[in-house]
Amino acid sequence: MADTIKLSVNGVEVEVPAGKNLIDAVAAVGIEIPHICYHPALGADGNCRMCLVEIEDGRPPLVAACKTKAAEGMKVRLDSEKIKKIQRDIMEFELINHPIDCPICDQAGECILQDYYVKYDHAPSRMRVPQVTKGKKMDFGSGVVHDQERCVLCARCVRFTRLITKTGELGIVNRTDQARVNIFPGRPLNNRYALNVVDLCPVGAMTSKDFRFRQRAWFLTKSKGICHGCSKGCNIYIDHNREKYKDDIIYRYRPRHNDLVNGYFICDSGRMTYKLENEKRLRVPLAAGQQVDLESAVNALKRRMDQADKLVFLVSPSCSLEQMRAIQQLATHKAAVLSGYSEGYIQKGDGDDYLIQDDKSANRAAFALLGIDESKDTLTAALNEADLLISFGNDLSLSGMDCTALGKTELAFVGSYANNCADAASYLLPVASYSEDNGSIINIDGVLQRYGAAVVKNEPLPSMLQILAQLGGAFGDVQAVWSDLNSAVEAFNKVDLQNIPAEGLALTVSEVDNVTA
Amino acid sequence: MEVKILSARFDIADANKLEVAKKHGAYGTLEKLFTMEPAEVTEVVKASGLRGRGGAGFPTGLKWTFLPKGLDKPVYLAVNSDESEPATFKDRYILVRDPHMLIEGIIICCYAINSHDAYIYIRGEYIYQAKILQAAIDEAYAAGYLGDKVLGHDFRIDVTVHRGAGAYICGEETALLESIEGKKGQPRSKPPFPAVEGLYGCPTIINNVQSIASLPFILEKGADAYKAYGTEKSSGTHLFGISGLVKKPGMYELPLGLPLVEVVDKVAGGVRDGRTLKGIIPGGSSTPVLTAEEAQSVTLDYESMAAHKTMFGSGGIVVLDDTVDMVKLAENLVHFYYHESCGQCTPCREGLGWMLKILGAIIAGKGKAKDIDLLLELCDNIEMKTVCVLSAACTMALRSYLNKFRSEFEAYIANTASAQPVM
Repeated sequence: MADTIKLSVNGVEVEVPAGKNLIDAVAAVGIEIPHICYHPALGADGNCRMCLVEIEDGRPPLVAACKTKAAEGMKVRLDSEKIKKIQRDIMEFELINHPIDCPICDQAGECILQDYYVKYDHAPSRMRVPQVTKGKKMDFGSGVVHDQERCVLCARCVRFTRLITKTGELGIVNRTDQARVNIFPGRPLNNRYALNVVDLCPVGAMTSKDFRFRQRAWFLTKSKGICHGCSKGCNIYIDHNREKYKDDIIYRYRPRHNDLVNGYFICDSGRMTYKLENEKRLRVPLAAGQQVDLESAVNALKRRMDQADKLVFLVSPSCSLEQMRAIQQLATHKAAVLSGYSEGYIQKGDGDDYLIQDDKSANRAAFALLGIDESKDTLTAALNEADLLISFGNDLSLSGMDCTALGKTELAFVGSYANNCADAASYLLPVASYSEDNGSIINIDGVLQRYGAAVVKNEPLPSMLQILAQLGGAFGDVQAVWSDLNSAVEAFNKVDLQNIPAEGLALTVSEVDNVTA
Repeated sequence: MEVKILSARFDIADANKLEVAKKHGAYGTLEKLFTMEPAEVTEVVKASGLRGRGGAGFPTGLKWTFLPKGLDKPVYLAVNSDESEPATFKDRYILVRDPHMLIEGIIICCYAINSHDAYIYIRGEYIYQAKILQAAIDEAYAAGYLGDKVLGHDFRIDVTVHRGAGAYICGEETALLESIEGKKGQPRSKPPFPAVEGLYGCPTIINNVQSIASLPFILEKGADAYKAYGTEKSSGTHLFGISGLVKKPGMYELPLGLPLVEVVDKVAGGVRDGRTLKGIIPGGSSTPVLTAEEAQSVTLDYESMAAHKTMFGSGGIVVLDDTVDMVKLAENLVHFYYHESCGQCTPCREGLGWMLKILGAIIAGKGKAKDIDLLLELCDNIEMKTVCVLSAACTMALRSYLNKFRSEFEAYIANTASAQPVM
């Protein structure tokens, strides 16, 4: 089969990818066929009838574009008066029993009914008879709240629980305009991906208990990011906003489509990791147990390093590739033992065969590529001798080691999040987290992905790379790290920082073969 | 006027019992059947001109030829016995009075299309009928007409009765298949058509009970004998259910092609004394109504009905006299289709309820003049935009009431207007 086919849309010939339905095929060249129920991850259902198009010389002349495969020579018409009228009529039917409670609806601003009303309808209401009333604010479980009146019965959520999670908690009960999405009595949504139905819902029928009524969608800045909740590295939108007189706060994560990594969805626990970016963050620098300003703390730690006889660096498996490399460089420079021991980040058996991984760290694959030792023996042997341990974000307590009982070894912590290890540290350097920094991570499947800074705080914390440079490291910025990676680490010899594709770069299998899960 | 082809054994006591039915000729065609090639059987059915008796009138033999050749998938036969169209009550007579005629027809059809598994999808409310049918099937198994070796021939046929749960939409052939598969009865998008991808994804032929029950006669007496009844394009006989405001409502077997009004007068006794004919619903509630004047020139066949912009439908004739309130009749009709809309696709799900409420408002004295045109526009907006034709069944009929009896709707609205206080 050829990779592209030619067909005519509104009399204009276009070349589109082969093997797709009409909606996706012409969308690839920027032509929109309005649709509500179709979603590429869930297949065509054909129930909304919004995507009806005319096929000239076709039989039948009127087809649902979602159900129709684009074919060579097909003559599609979207701009005829007949089709425009059908689109208006379908919108009218969708809206007659819709509550139109946009002012109090979370979906307002990103609602398909609003968008399509403006684009395809614009007709006044002719509804003079009472509307159908249905259930409101129904708790479907897993943090999902449902409004049956707003629902357009597209069945995306139902199909999601049947096709994707295969848990089937949702169904459409009743017929005619009494049809409604519901759970079975006493059987709420019970899967680890349930909140995806909120994103899938084209209207405000499925809302997230966590997000509802917290922000208007149009106030949110929607930045691209990568979830650091596990080693899958799912692509996300980081939706954040700085309200007047307040700080830039993240309100939600939403999945961002990437076929190389996560497809269209993310897990619920990863979605909720946005809270770690807002709360329980390290803010106050410490030097020798005393609160000081950051500069003093950096200088104090630098002096303490110089005095140390035996120095151990502990790096977190969630550090970015650039951070790891810079830590590694500094370790070599300071003759420190470098360890990546982080067994506690792995929750054996927690992962599934879809997105969720056992390993709750974001970048462990980079350890193997950089040759960073992960064994417990290396770390414990080094700690027996050491008088200073600097942890770069690694919460050693997760791995069953008591950070308050390190004996003569003094503890320093350079990181973003409060944890037992940071609590026990006498030197503390707070740094920007991944949502405020840029960097690269390599996921469990060996896909190298770049992410940029999404959030800019009122009082930004320095990046870990800046701190490392101040502590005597050789690299001032990401570019400098990459020059080194390109020349000194075989796996990155051929990787051009500027040309890493947006969807990530799959490193060859052999390079990540020895990465432990 | 009446003939006894399908109904030959209807008046024989206990003809639902194998012993009695057999004495009167049931299963008489099977010896002949197994001497024929399957394709020959199909040819005879095609030559007979038999058209689908479920309402659409698609040629039965031609439908069978749509099965893909050389597939390694099984072929299924689904017998549509979901008789739910208001005013239609013909198949139930076959199920109760001569179920062995249906089973014999199933054997003939299965042999012709090389199917070994037939499902009879019977309407949920037909509890009594299902019991009698199942008893007949059990007898047929015991007597070797069904089972691993039909009459000792190397041909297996298993027949399963599947009861519906009361949804009209399950008479739509793909909703019927969904229902057999254990899913919610909702029509599938077509294509693919069931002959290519039907029950469990396999090629499936779906025929109405009466169509299948017509096969034994056609096979026994030949295509010409069948064509001797009816018209050129509408051959054979049909079980007509005549109801409404006539003196002798009932089920009558008639050849196709008879004048409608004559049938109403002579067979069903005509309208009651002192009343006049107002209109006739010719073939089930979904067929556009004929005015008394139009009905004069209509004959009971597919061509004549089409020429009068209505449909032959399912043979359910409803006679309306001058006492009938057409607005309330229209509301009753729309209420049925509203209630039975599966709710899957938008225009039908939302539109029928809207139309029903508008009609309710008109009857309640809250109608507005523009409501009639709004209803007509909604008919257009819904019709043929949907996955199946349930909504079209409603809109085609409603449109005929609005257009042909508009003055009655206007009268309701005029009364409303006069009742309004003067501003």
